[in-house]
Amino acid sequence: MTEPKRASPFRATMLRLLHHRLFMLGCVLFGLIVLLAILAPLIARVDPNKLSMRSKFRPPGTDFIFGTDNFGRSLWSRVVWGAQLSMFIGATVVAVNAVFGTAIGTVAGYFKPLDNGLMRINDALMAFPAVLLAIGVTAVLGPSVNDVIIALSIVYTPRTARIVRSSVIVLREMEYVQAARAAGAGHWRILRFHILPNAMAPLIVQLSFLFAYAVLTEATLSFLGVGAVPPTPTWGNIMAEGRQYMTDAPWIITIPGAALMITVLGLNLLGDGLRDVLDPRLRIQQ
Amino acid sequence: MGGILVRRLLGAIPILLLVSLITFGMIHMIPGDPAVAIAGMSATPEQIANIRRDLGLDQPLLRQLWDWYANLFRGDLGRSLLLGQPVVQATMLRLPVTLALSAYALLLTLLIGLVTGIVAALRQNTWIDQAAMVLAMIGISLPSFYLGLLMIIVFAVGLRLLPTGGYIALTEDPLGWLATSTMPAVSLALLLAGLLARITRSTMLEVLRQDYIRTARAKGLPGRTVVVKHALANALIPITTVVGIIVSLLISGSVVIETLFSIPGIGQLLTQAVLNRDYPMVQGGLLITTALLVLVNIGVDLCYAWLDPRVHYDGA
Amino acid sequence: MSRGILAPVGVVLSAAMSLATAQAEQFKCPRTGGNFVFGQEANINTLDQMTSSTISTRNIAMNIYESLMTRDENNHPILELAQAMNEAPDHLTYTFKLRQGVHFQNGKPLTSADVVASFDRYAKVGNQRSTLDNVDRWDAPDPATFVIHMKRIQPTFIEALSSFSVPIVIIPAENRDVPAQQLTQPIGTGPYQLVEAIPGSAVKLKRFDGYQPNTSFQERTGFGGYKQACFDTVTFRIVTEPGARVAGLRTGELPGVEDVPSKSVADLKQDAGITILPLKNWWIQIASPNVSNPPTDKLLVRKAIQAALDMDEIMDAASDGNYQLNVGFQYPNQPDYTDAGKETYNIHDPELAKKYLAQAGYQGEPVVLLTNKDYPPMYNSALVMQQQLQAVGINAQMKVVDWPTSVQMSQNTTEGWNFFYTGWGTQPALGALATMQFLVQPNASYKPVGGKDDPDILAAWNDMNTLPTPEGRQNAFALMQKLVLERVYAVPFGAFTKVQAVRSNVDGFVPFRIPRMSNVWFSH
Repeated sequence: MTEPKRASPFRATMLRLLHHRLFMLGCVLFGLIVLLAILAPLIARVDPNKLSMRSKFRPPGTDFIFGTDNFGRSLWSRVVWGAQLSMFIGATVVAVNAVFGTAIGTVAGYFKPLDNGLMRINDALMAFPAVLLAIGVTAVLGPSVNDVIIALSIVYTPRTARIVRSSVIVLREMEYVQAARAAGAGHWRILRFHILPNAMAPLIVQLSFLFAYAVLTEATLSFLGVGAVPPTPTWGNIMAEGRQYMTDAPWIITIPGAALMITVLGLNLLGDGLRDVLDPRLRIQQ
Repeated sequence: MGGILVRRLLGAIPILLLVSLITFGMIHMIPGDPAVAIAGMSATPEQIANIRRDLGLDQPLLRQLWDWYANLFRGDLGRSLLLGQPVVQATMLRLPVTLALSAYALLLTLLIGLVTGIVAALRQNTWIDQAAMVLAMIGISLPSFYLGLLMIIVFAVGLRLLPTGGYIALTEDPLGWLATSTMPAVSLALLLAGLLARITRSTMLEVLRQDYIRTARAKGLPGRTVVVKHALANALIPITTVVGIIVSLLISGSVVIETLFSIPGIGQLLTQAVLNRDYPMVQGGLLITTALLVLVNIGVDLCYAWLDPRVHYDGA
Repeated sequence: MSRGILAPVGVVLSAAMSLATAQAEQFKCPRTGGNFVFGQEANINTLDQMTSSTISTRNIAMNIYESLMTRDENNHPILELAQAMNEAPDHLTYTFKLRQGVHFQNGKPLTSADVVASFDRYAKVGNQRSTLDNVDRWDAPDPATFVIHMKRIQPTFIEALSSFSVPIVIIPAENRDVPAQQLTQPIGTGPYQLVEAIPGSAVKLKRFDGYQPNTSFQERTGFGGYKQACFDTVTFRIVTEPGARVAGLRTGELPGVEDVPSKSVADLKQDAGITILPLKNWWIQIASPNVSNPPTDKLLVRKAIQAALDMDEIMDAASDGNYQLNVGFQYPNQPDYTDAGKETYNIHDPELAKKYLAQAGYQGEPVVLLTNKDYPPMYNSALVMQQQLQAVGINAQMKVVDWPTSVQMSQNTTEGWNFFYTGWGTQPALGALATMQFLVQPNASYKPVGGKDDPDILAAWNDMNTLPTPEGRQNAFALMQKLVLERVYAVPFGAFTKVQAVRSNVDGFVPFRIPRMSNVWFSH
């Protein structure tokens, strides 16, 4: 039996990505933020939690690159360490989603009897407005970083599962799969070699957007006061605290927000590029 | 069509049942209890205990769940612990606020998104197309609450043109409503307009490529007619699906925007209810909201089926 | 007036009587009319005053209802719906003579049957029904007389009866059996009556034309006195956003607001159309230690923490500059005030702190500061305290949850936290007795080991309650405060100033524990 087209045009795909201008722009933007996050201990030496009432509300550009907030804390430090936290949360949520979303989606798409039940639960979870579900789960588990990750995973895994399921359902009926089954191939073998590799493309695209959603929702949760525990700085809770001081110190809001926007923009460009290269058909569905 | 409607409505029931069960379980797992929130900051432990007892919060959980479902079948969703009024009444008072805001945002979304998408598709690969797509990209990357904050800083604090927040009902004072609703609606709409623009553009492009359009053009019909009659009509199908997603994103987005602009809508009501462990409000309010979303989705599916009778809708 | 725990009522009464017989001028509204819109900061969930302990409910309800007794401007018990009170020589019977001509807002005249019904309801659903624990029964020998019979002598009974925290408001007898929190149509005897309540939005009151003011007084005083409704209507609008309250004040949409954020004060003072009204000593910012959880189970560790604190820095951050340093649990303008234990306050000596730590053998065990984001002063004071503790080598960590969770943790567990941040508002305003209640069982705030109170503290508390003379009780309070501060069972940071404001055409508004709508008018 012929193996379906594997990822052997891998190098061709990579080359196409490198030539895709917007994809590269996305990589640069997102990469910038990731770099900040990784280099945090080196470039943000000042403790983001160090109070200094004497230096409160210093505008950016003086001794403090990004200025200080109402407690005199360095905004540069807080934004950079916030980047680290956001990247960590985004990456973990994506990883969890990749594993569980694929697993659930595949099982539902491939084994018809389980489909109905799984999709009912899926739909129920998706029926909740995302932010509210996240608020509810964090309220239950408590506002630590790990719990925020769990909450975000619970919110977004159903969506990932749905996408994987759609692919698997279509692939399941493909000729070469039928042929493989007729030849006596076991389920696991079919899944591993025939179905999953071809379901990867939409999944990868989804995961890149998911990173953006995760970072965005985490910021939203922190902004609403239910995200990672203060005084740990996250972009969202920096903006939340800065809200009362809008008139005195707007930079407390504008700078972390800009960082958030750059991250999401970079990821969106990345995701777009991936979609263009990997599967142009998806443009219509997304 | 009628068959689809009935089937979808019936299918919605187990989902709503699951939703209410998940909600009940979740909210009762939140540590802390509403008696504390109700009692206020200066309350003594005795006062808190009395409130807990008076509101029946010390009953076993299964009993509380049973009571809730029993009341539900009588159409009674209970009283909000924090607001002291019936849940249905509280929800019905806030729902029009969110709906009005969402309608305004939806209008802006459709206007900006559709026009941008169509223009970009018709002028594919020109600078207009590029600019439109850049704007759309920025739109979807700009977090809605960040945009809201920026607008407040510029228009409310800086220029003093618009209020920093609050809400004036449309029925009370239309101009005031416009003043208090514009920044929130724009915050919500920009992201969704960006999404719609992109999808509209790609859908239009796809359809414009179809053979029969070329055939129609070959027949000599004027270009405008071709676009309006064939491309748009066909593009409506996927766009309708997106509208469903947009509505659900609107409700979700309203949670943050209403909190940011102090608008007394459903989003803010539910957020406060969850944070204050207002059990009846959360259970009832979330049920009503998700029921509404489910209905909207069913409506979208019906439009979809009506627009394209070729579609055999299997509910996938 | 005598100092010490609230003077015997007889003294207060006769003083008030003599004022009345002097036929002095009673308050008259210089101008009547208008709709006063007041921006309130918190939502209300009920107007059923008997079953609510929240400030937001009391703000509105105390303009609608009145009680047998209440407190005056200086916190002394005064008569309100009663015109005379007689305490029997054996202190086991209190006889109240009701004022004549008082009507409810539904037109019915007030009789002792209504008072009986009110007490009946309070005993059943009253949020603070323990007030009546020592009461045996009550009855009404005639329509103008109400008698309370005690089980045992309680020298502090009148103080408790006149408390405004969850007052025993007088309601019509037909409301006697309404379940808790369900009294949606409040009917009282006060100067304003309810028009409508829109939950989450506003509560409208209007002048009660049949109101009978208390002629034993000339002026409004505290919650009582001679009250007159000068406004036609009063609208309490719920404006939870501080920025919106400031904006409303500026435009005149809100002629009065309950709270103005400290940062806006300087700016608003420039505005000639606005009058800023600071209300000092609104609440005591305080942290309660957990003595059942190491390392705060060691007195020396607690003393080290106490020694390290700089109260100015903490209160400045907590209140954005609007504060007073304050020793102990009462304020200087209150009759019960004592500075006993002042040597423990605002020591600000890091070297001393380190010395105590060394003596205690402190090994770096974590000290968990349990606070919340819902009340910025509590969060801010914890943040600054953490820094100050870390500066002397204490491993201070923050645990930030939300308010209901933090309260539940502080009340129900002795693990996982070492300090709980809160504010004591109503209780210090009520007096020493109400405040020190927090430091004894049940649920003493410092979590004594095994739930058993420190015996010295308990002894002082009992004296505060049972000694026959006011001086004796006051001395007991001073002793109790000294012991609590020396043993670091509480760490009061200071007193918070609440800033209220009105438009300058509003006269007669004097901030108090509630916004009093009587004897306030529009001057133009």
